[in-house]
Amino acid sequence: MIDRVQLREIDWVLIGLLLLNAVIGIVLIYSSAHYLAGNFYLRQLLWLLVSLVILFLTLTVDYKGLLGFSPYVYGLFIAVLAGMLVFGKAVSGAKSWVLRLSVFGGQPSELAKIALILLLARIFSEYRRKSLGLEFGILSVGVTVLPFVVIGLQPDLGTAVSLLPILFGALILCGLTRKTVVLLLVGTLVLGFTGWTFVLKDYQKKRLITLVNPNKDPRGTGYHVLQSKIAIGSGGLTGKGYTKGTQSQLKFLPARHTDFIGSVLGEEFGFLGIFAVFLSYFFFLARLFTSVPLSRDRAGMYIIFMVACLLTFQFLVNVMMIVGLFPVTGVPIPLLSYGGSSLLTTFLAVGLVLNVKMRRCVNA
Amino acid sequence: MDSPIYEDLTSPLKRARFVFIAVAVLFAAVLFFYWKIQILDYGKYWAASESNRTREVVIPAPRAILTDRGGAVILANNIGAFKVSLIRENTRNLEESLARISPLLGLDVAVLRQRIDKYKTLPLFRPIVIKDDLSLKEEVSRIEARRMDFPELVIETEPKRYYPFFSLAAHALGYLQELTPEDLRSAAFKDRKVGDMAGKTGIEGAYESRLAGVDGKLVEIVDSLGRKRDELDRVEPRQNAKLALTLDFDLQAKAEELLAGKEGAIVALDARTGGVLAMASFPTYDPNKFVNRFTPEEWVDLVKNPDNPLINRALQGQYSPGSIFKPVMAIGALDLGLITEQTTFFCSGTAMFYNRPFHCWFEPGHASLNLPEAIRQSCNIYFYNVGMRMKIDDIARYAEAFGLGQKTSVDIAGEKPGLVPSTEWKRKTQGEVWYPGETISVAIGQGPLQVTPIQIAAMTAQIANRGTRLQPHLILDDDAKTIAAATRSSIPSETIEKVIEGMWRSANMEGTGRGAKVEGFDVCSKTGSTQTIGRETSERLGIKKKTHSWFTGFAPRNNPQIIVTVLIEFGGMGGEAAAPVAGKLFKLFKDKYDRPSPAPGN
Repeated sequence: MIDRVQLREIDWVLIGLLLLNAVIGIVLIYSSAHYLAGNFYLRQLLWLLVSLVILFLTLTVDYKGLLGFSPYVYGLFIAVLAGMLVFGKAVSGAKSWVLRLSVFGGQPSELAKIALILLLARIFSEYRRKSLGLEFGILSVGVTVLPFVVIGLQPDLGTAVSLLPILFGALILCGLTRKTVVLLLVGTLVLGFTGWTFVLKDYQKKRLITLVNPNKDPRGTGYHVLQSKIAIGSGGLTGKGYTKGTQSQLKFLPARHTDFIGSVLGEEFGFLGIFAVFLSYFFFLARLFTSVPLSRDRAGMYIIFMVACLLTFQFLVNVMMIVGLFPVTGVPIPLLSYGGSSLLTTFLAVGLVLNVKMRRCVNA
Repeated sequence: MDSPIYEDLTSPLKRARFVFIAVAVLFAAVLFFYWKIQILDYGKYWAASESNRTREVVIPAPRAILTDRGGAVILANNIGAFKVSLIRENTRNLEESLARISPLLGLDVAVLRQRIDKYKTLPLFRPIVIKDDLSLKEEVSRIEARRMDFPELVIETEPKRYYPFFSLAAHALGYLQELTPEDLRSAAFKDRKVGDMAGKTGIEGAYESRLAGVDGKLVEIVDSLGRKRDELDRVEPRQNAKLALTLDFDLQAKAEELLAGKEGAIVALDARTGGVLAMASFPTYDPNKFVNRFTPEEWVDLVKNPDNPLINRALQGQYSPGSIFKPVMAIGALDLGLITEQTTFFCSGTAMFYNRPFHCWFEPGHASLNLPEAIRQSCNIYFYNVGMRMKIDDIARYAEAFGLGQKTSVDIAGEKPGLVPSTEWKRKTQGEVWYPGETISVAIGQGPLQVTPIQIAAMTAQIANRGTRLQPHLILDDDAKTIAAATRSSIPSETIEKVIEGMWRSANMEGTGRGAKVEGFDVCSKTGSTQTIGRETSERLGIKKKTHSWFTGFAPRNNPQIIVTVLIEFGGMGGEAAAPVAGKLFKLFKDKYDRPSPAPGN
């Protein structure tokens, strides 16, 4: 279990930054959804407390133990997701039945990120060569593509795309040769082409096209980006005031409490609010990045870096998406956007980082 | 597991640090972009968010109320109605949208598309009315309940024109129709908007700008579904003051009651002012049917109806005057000194003129008669002889002096001018000279001569007023103006008095107009029966078609108060069909208005 040294090594600053950003999220969720039935901010608060408890519970288990379980956990998630896909299509009731099986009725695809992080950390924990070899390259890409495909087909493009920074984080740490980079680029192009032609749904393609010219289709997907830009731009320096944003309160913004929570922030708190939240989020991510060397082993280093890459990717993609710098992919901001599974996943990910850091001084 | 403590992790950590620096740079870049749209482009986005949340709604002004001359009976007012419009800007795909709306409104997609297409040249944000006169309980609540599914639809209320007495005075009041895109582009309607209704005919059309009022405006805060959240500014619509017509409700109702089931027209004028007391035309229609924008079936029915209910026969029906033209002939001949009131002709029932036999309507013949008697009995032979003495151009001059052959310029549009033949007219239209034989027919009001009932009413008013001509009109406030603008011809009133003597006898001494006699009201009248096809044609084809039946007259003889002109198509003899109808109207008027004045000195 936990001894005194480990307890002393718990990174309270990281926990503080985690909670700070989660609370900012609840404040924004209140403003964006207080007029809707469902008390979203209270539900998010409840999820926050539950997630915090689960986080502390996971700290009692050594991450090395978790790595040992990781293939089974990973396998289970693939099975559940594939089951949702198969039964969900065959019988409409089956999907909800499988959904009820999954944790808290939330989205199992979110938690699949944790499973992938653990599996990749295990794969690379004993890898000591200077750069990535072919067999490890294929293996790591393979274990990522599998959940990517089953989640992408749900269809949940946002969550599927969020698996990629985990893989790239691992590959970067491992060391990429020029040959591998070229190989990856070619692979991405081929995958992208086949994906565009055979896999992507029309609405997903539309989203990508919309990125190029949001004014072209003002009532379609581009409409959302346009409304979001209007919300943020009209916030000006100081914003329209808390719960006073006309774009969000009058519902011109879509998915205000989830994907477009940043637009509510920009509209109601202005550039100063954006700056402050960017800063607090940057401190949070910086704390993760600076924790990378504070691991006793290779696996821990991979875990911390992959978590940092995942959360950074999601934040940047979202804040770029809502101003039209990135396609609307449905990637929420961890901690800020409403969503229980997303919050829990983020807490579990940060929990892994804490887990690694508190055990760095222990001699095995 | 082996202990990894002494492993060299320098290069992976270097790469991790590099990624962190890249992330920091990316943060700064994205923040810079936010600074650009929030600080540099702030004005642009602020304006966009303002126009996003406010909407200007037009509050249509109710049209001015129309009343009868008493002011108490409302002939046209407004009731609240609901309409639903489509805003194309709010649709993703118009076709898909129409397919969803079709079952909601119970309209075919093709019909919906047709309505949209009608206005496709208009900007996308302008709502296009796709259905109006919705029922509150069923349609409005059904649409409102599915508000979320149909962001492209807006329900608005509007005051709708309502004619409480349905077809009463329909032709005088006129009807409304939706403005066409062409109308909207014209200067006259530049302030109007899509879906607005405007008067097309009758008083509604003639006084459109006076009746329309000024629309109000509402600036409201709306959410993304177009639902109203708050009000920012409001300008109330302005309804113009009610407009009193010269129509007398009781006379109008009675006139229509008397015409019901027949085809024809009745015009009653106030003899002292020229105001139209009644104007009826049958068959008729219900103008309420036009107030809805979409009633194509009913519209087509009315237009295609062989009886032409939309035609205002009082103004647009052109008929041979027949014998009711005889007073003008008599006045002309007297004025020219061609006859005196004592000039006598002999009627044997038939007479030869220019080697052709001409018949009197009374086959046994009237024997010897003078002018008043000739008018009383409407003797054709007498007037053939008068026609023998008069030139056609003189007849035309007197006919025109009494307003024939030209529009009376009553307020309502669409009036026909009729026709007064002359040598000039024949040369111009047929390139031929006028044969004196043709004058004989014109002398009894046949031949090419054509008149409208309102012309005859105005002519009769001029006779009743002993030569003073009053402009027929429909707006009560124009009475004084009309009296001030009254004109007189050079014909002495004594000349006209001689003809009036004959007209008085017609009604009161068992003449052709006896059916119009009202005890104590001194009716003066002239009847007419006009062949609808020539006598030869009818004999050749063996058809005996009834004649059009005319009556025109005034009462009382001295200080006349009312003119009544009746035309019944295919009614038969004027004295039999038209005169009794007029008699009932004279009676009603006398009972209503002609009460003995209270004894002076009280």
